[in-house]
Amino acid sequence: MVTISDARLDYPRHIAFANFTLAVKPGEMVSIIGKSGCGKTSLLYAIAGLLPLSQGTLSLTGGTEACSIMFQQDRLLPWKTVLGNVLLGLTKDYVGQAEMLLDRMGLYGHRKKYPQQLSGGERQRVALVRSLVRNPRLLLLDEPLAALDEQNRELLQQEIKEFVITKGITLIMVTHSIQEAIFMGSRILVMQPDGIRFETENPHHGAKDLRNRTEFFALEKVLRAQLGGPA
Amino acid sequence: MKYVRGTTIVLVLWYALAWVLASPIVPFPHLVLVHLVRSMGEGKTYLHLLFSLYRIFMGMMLALFFAIPTGMVAGRFKALDQVVSPVLYLLYPLPKIAFLPIFMVLFGIGDLSKIILIAVIIFFPAAVTIRDGVKEIPVQFLELARAYHLKPRQILKDILWPAILPRIFSSLRITVGISLSVLFISENYAATYGLGYYIMNSWVMAYYIGMYSGIVLLSLLGLGLYIVIDGVERLVVPQSAL
Repeated sequence: MVTISDARLDYPRHIAFANFTLAVKPGEMVSIIGKSGCGKTSLLYAIAGLLPLSQGTLSLTGGTEACSIMFQQDRLLPWKTVLGNVLLGLTKDYVGQAEMLLDRMGLYGHRKKYPQQLSGGERQRVALVRSLVRNPRLLLLDEPLAALDEQNRELLQQEIKEFVITKGITLIMVTHSIQEAIFMGSRILVMQPDGIRFETENPHHGAKDLRNRTEFFALEKVLRAQLGGPA
Repeated sequence: MKYVRGTTIVLVLWYALAWVLASPIVPFPHLVLVHLVRSMGEGKTYLHLLFSLYRIFMGMMLALFFAIPTGMVAGRFKALDQVVSPVLYLLYPLPKIAFLPIFMVLFGIGDLSKIILIAVIIFFPAAVTIRDGVKEIPVQFLELARAYHLKPRQILKDILWPAILPRIFSSLRITVGISLSVLFISENYAATYGLGYYIMNSWVMAYYIGMYSGIVLLSLLGLGLYIVIDGVERLVVPQSAL
């Protein structure tokens, strides 16, 4: 689905990341964690076609049209209603699907409201619906739940995970949270500016009681050690 | 309702002035209002109001017709901004009223020269405000447009245009006052209708009640324009009322 080889991205004053090689299979769910400034977000932007690579190659099955990104901030347009935001750039053919997804996220009653009238959690759900309604084959998530309280965060993690698995969407998620990375990722990467520092499969990814399993805590310990301090 | 208090204060001050001066040059408000109501029915005062309204409305529309693309182009394309902005800054501070004689020569002594003068006055603040509005669109929104593969036409319709709409209304509100002043001056030349003509004609004939009627109408015209601008803004920028 995604093949990145020996990629490097330079900013005018510093290197975002270098020596990055990754192959993601269709339907795979990859979590990427790393310290601030390790180039996680830049990598995601490069995959989405928002930033050009300085070196190396990047190929997406279906091109950037097949992928949809959800940003750290909701980026809802204040002059559009909830439904208008969800349908940004789409034709009216998507209205039915948009309303169905809004209903699934408990937002159907809010579809005619403006973003300013919603809570932070609701806004983030709208942004999620906006990225899902496009039927992406690859979903890129850039720490989209970082600003939410724990309860909302876990609820949305569950929603996204279920949706992505049901639809067979490939997921690449960047996060600061080790627990989120373990819950969401079937494969977890620890990234640093000069490439991937550590990589592991998450064999219990599909388990319903994942959060309470001893393997969850064991993996958390391993990843924390690999990060070498706060993410 | 919010205008009642303001109107009361103005009327009290006016009464006080009329009482202190005790001169026909400042007549009592009720005399002016009675004359105004009567002349609207019998005379042609409403024609003066309509002519002024027509000129100012056409001036606004003409100004926006040029200011919107100019501001958008300058705000969106850095290279063009470096050409457009210095021209705007050079011409903006010029007292445009000084060009009235030239406009009269170029566009005739009728309505067109007056409308163009008003348009030129509104154009500069409108173009600068719209340009700044486009520049201040958060880069995240433009990134979003790219991420979701919006076409240029969709970027214009869904992001640029809604972002500058409030700026357009702000620039109109800012320029209503100066537009009325210029309208008043321009209607003193080669006009037989218009509030400017009506006020100065009444003054020449020492017909002060008529003169004040014209001033009140000019003030009401300004108030009406503010109310209409606010109303249209609430209609086309619904989130502004939240």
